[in-house]
Amino acid sequence: MSILAIHPGAYYHIESFETPRFAGYFDRLARPEELDRLRLDHFAAVLIPCRTPGDRLAPHAGRLRDYLDRGGTVVVTGESEFSQFLPGITFTSQPTNWWWWLEPGGDLGVRIAQPGHGLFRRLAERDLTWHLHGWFDVPDGAEVLAVNGEGKPILYIDEVTTAGRMVVTSLDPFFHHGSHFMPATTRFLDGFLPWMREALDHKENP
Amino acid sequence: MSVLFVQSHSGGPGTVFEAAAQSGDLAIVRERELTPAHVERADGLITTIHLDQIGWLGFAAAVQRLLGRGGRWVFNGHMLRPFLPGLAVYMPLITPKRDDFTLTRLADHPVFAGVDQQKLAKNRGVAGFYGRGHNPMPAGGSAINGIGPSLYPIDWEWAPPGGGRLLIHAGNEFWGCGDDPALKTQLAERAIAWAGGRI
Repeated sequence: MSILAIHPGAYYHIESFETPRFAGYFDRLARPEELDRLRLDHFAAVLIPCRTPGDRLAPHAGRLRDYLDRGGTVVVTGESEFSQFLPGITFTSQPTNWWWWLEPGGDLGVRIAQPGHGLFRRLAERDLTWHLHGWFDVPDGAEVLAVNGEGKPILYIDEVTTAGRMVVTSLDPFFHHGSHFMPATTRFLDGFLPWMREALDHKENP
Repeated sequence: MSVLFVQSHSGGPGTVFEAAAQSGDLAIVRERELTPAHVERADGLITTIHLDQIGWLGFAAAVQRLLGRGGRWVFNGHMLRPFLPGLAVYMPLITPKRDDFTLTRLADHPVFAGVDQQKLAKNRGVAGFYGRGHNPMPAGGSAINGIGPSLYPIDWEWAPPGGGRLLIHAGNEFWGCGDDPALKTQLAERAIAWAGGRI
C-alpha cells in the first residue's frame, strides 16, 4: 500500500512535502483538483494537510466518503475546513495564544490522553505543544489521543462514523514546519509521519 | 488602475480589503474561481502567503502581460516556485536567534514611509512573524527592509526588464504584523494604493 498526500500548493505545503526531510513519507502527491481522476483505493491512507481550502476539496467530499466507507484512512490536520469535505467532524475554534511561553509558569495545557497509544512512543507532550486553534466534539466511540487545557479533544481517531478511519487534529504542524517557524511542529512531524507510515500504511487497524 | 486580490485562504481578506472592494478599488476573487481573464483585466495584483504557487505557475504569462503594461504585484510569502525570470527560491535563516529577526529600514518606500519598522518586529512580544528569511533580490532591485545583522532583504522592490513593478515581502502579510491596529490598517491601505499605482 502507500500514502497519498493532497498538495494544495502553498509554500508551506511545498516545503513540507517536497524537501528531503519528509518527502519520503508520501508516495504520491496530488492536487485537490486531481481527486476525481485517482483510484483512492490504491492508497492505504490519504493525508490532507493544514490549511487546505475547503472549497477545493468540497467537490470531492463524496469520493472521500466512499473511500472511507470501503475501509480507507484519512489523516487531516488543522486549520482546514474539515466539515466541508469529511463526515462527522464538529469543530469549535478557540483564541490562539502563541505567547503563552512568555508568561511566568506558562503552560498551554496540551495533554496526552492515551499515553499507551503507539503514537506516543514517538511523541511527547512538548512535541504537541505550540499553540491551539480549537477543539472537537468527537462521536461516541472515538479514541481521543490528546486534549487542550480544558480537556477538549484536539487529536483523535474516529473508526465509528464510517467503515474506515479518520485521524483528525486541530494542530497545524505542516503550516508552521513549512514556514520554518516553531520547532515543536517539526518535532511533531518527526514523530507523527513515521507513525503514520508504520501504523496506517495498511488496511488493518494499528 | 484595477487591483486584483487573490483570496487563497478561507476566512476572508480582512476589513480593509473588503471595504476597498465595496468602493470599487479592488476585486477580490477566490483562488478556486480565478481565471487568467481576471489577471488580464487587472493592472495590479495582491497575493498572500496562502497563494497556491503551483497553480499560480499557470498564470505566469498573464502576470507577465500585466507587468508588461506597467502593472504592479504585491507578493507576500516564501517564493518556492519562482514565477518570473530573475526571481529565485526563498532562503530561510538557519537556526535563527532573537537578534537575527532584527528589522532595519534600508531605503524609503511609499508603502513604509513614516512607519517605525520596529512596530512590526514582534506580535505580543514574539519575534518572527514578520519574516524568517528572504526571497533573493534580483540585480537592480531596491532593498527596503533588512533582517538580521546581515541585512538580508526581507522587503524589496524590483522593476523587471519587461516592465511593471514587484513589491516582495518574505513573510506573513506585512499589514498583519505587529500589535498596532491603526498601523495594520494603514499598511493594508497602502498595499492597495501601491498595487493600484496611486502611491
